[in-house]
Amino acid sequence: MAIRVQLDRVLVERRMSLTELADRVGVTVANLSILKTGKARAVRFSTLDALCRELDCQPGDLLVHEPGPGDAFDDDAEA
Amino acid sequence: MRLLPPRHPLKRGEALSPKWLTPKWPAPRWLRAMTAPLKAPFRALGPGSVSSVLKVALDVAYILLWLITGLLLLLLVAAVFIPLDNVNITVSGESGGRQLPLTRMLLLFGLGAATAYFGGFMLILRSLRRIFRTLTMGDPFHPDNVRRLRQIGLTLAVVTGGVWLAQGFVAARLAPGVMDPQGLGELLTPIFSVLIVFVLAEVFREGARLRRESELTI
Repeated sequence: MAIRVQLDRVLVERRMSLTELADRVGVTVANLSILKTGKARAVRFSTLDALCRELDCQPGDLLVHEPGPGDAFDDDAEA
Repeated sequence: MRLLPPRHPLKRGEALSPKWLTPKWPAPRWLRAMTAPLKAPFRALGPGSVSSVLKVALDVAYILLWLITGLLLLLLVAAVFIPLDNVNITVSGESGGRQLPLTRMLLLFGLGAATAYFGGFMLILRSLRRIFRTLTMGDPFHPDNVRRLRQIGLTLAVVTGGVWLAQGFVAARLAPGVMDPQGLGELLTPIFSVLIVFVLAEVFREGARLRRESELTI
């Protein structure tokens, strides 16, 4: 997918670990790493809200769009 | 209440709008009052629920069928070596009983058909047990359940089709005049039940897709 979650970069800038963020946001570390590695299919607004609140950033700081050759939403390919 | 969405088929990932799910005319009050207690009189899923009780019943039935199939298989093997002479079976038809010599072929056919029949139902119960295990764990839309339901449908088709063919064979060759030949009308119920199982499998596929999607929603 062409949408990438830049959780790594923001975490490094804030000098925060994934575990700490998970504690503060109320999301499990497993789910946060799904988000970080780009395996997530969707993000709830409530999660985005909590992430932005704890990281003190805007949604645009977390998400970037990177068009590429295989950027089609390959729903059927996985099924 | 409409049973079909206005546009069909739904696109992938498109949510069913609640508009068509809401009935145009609500059920009359007396009907609602009658069906209200039927909503959830017991827990259907999860540990300690009705499905766990059913799972135990399925376990027992599975073991019984396993024993019966094994016994029949042993008899089938034994029948190959048993010498047969002067054994007659009585076939009772509408015109009264009739003596029929029990040939080796007849015996092998009967035992083989019975073994296949019970074996088929054993396979169905095997898949059903696994499905009910996931129900007991409270996870009905496990991705494997789609495959299991399709297996059940396929086995049911083979078993019921085989029964139909075997009955036709018996009526035509083994005991002509005793049994009436099978009509196509007797295939209707099996066909419908098999189709319903296949449709249910697709329903579970949709459920498994939604479950996967919700798992990947953070």
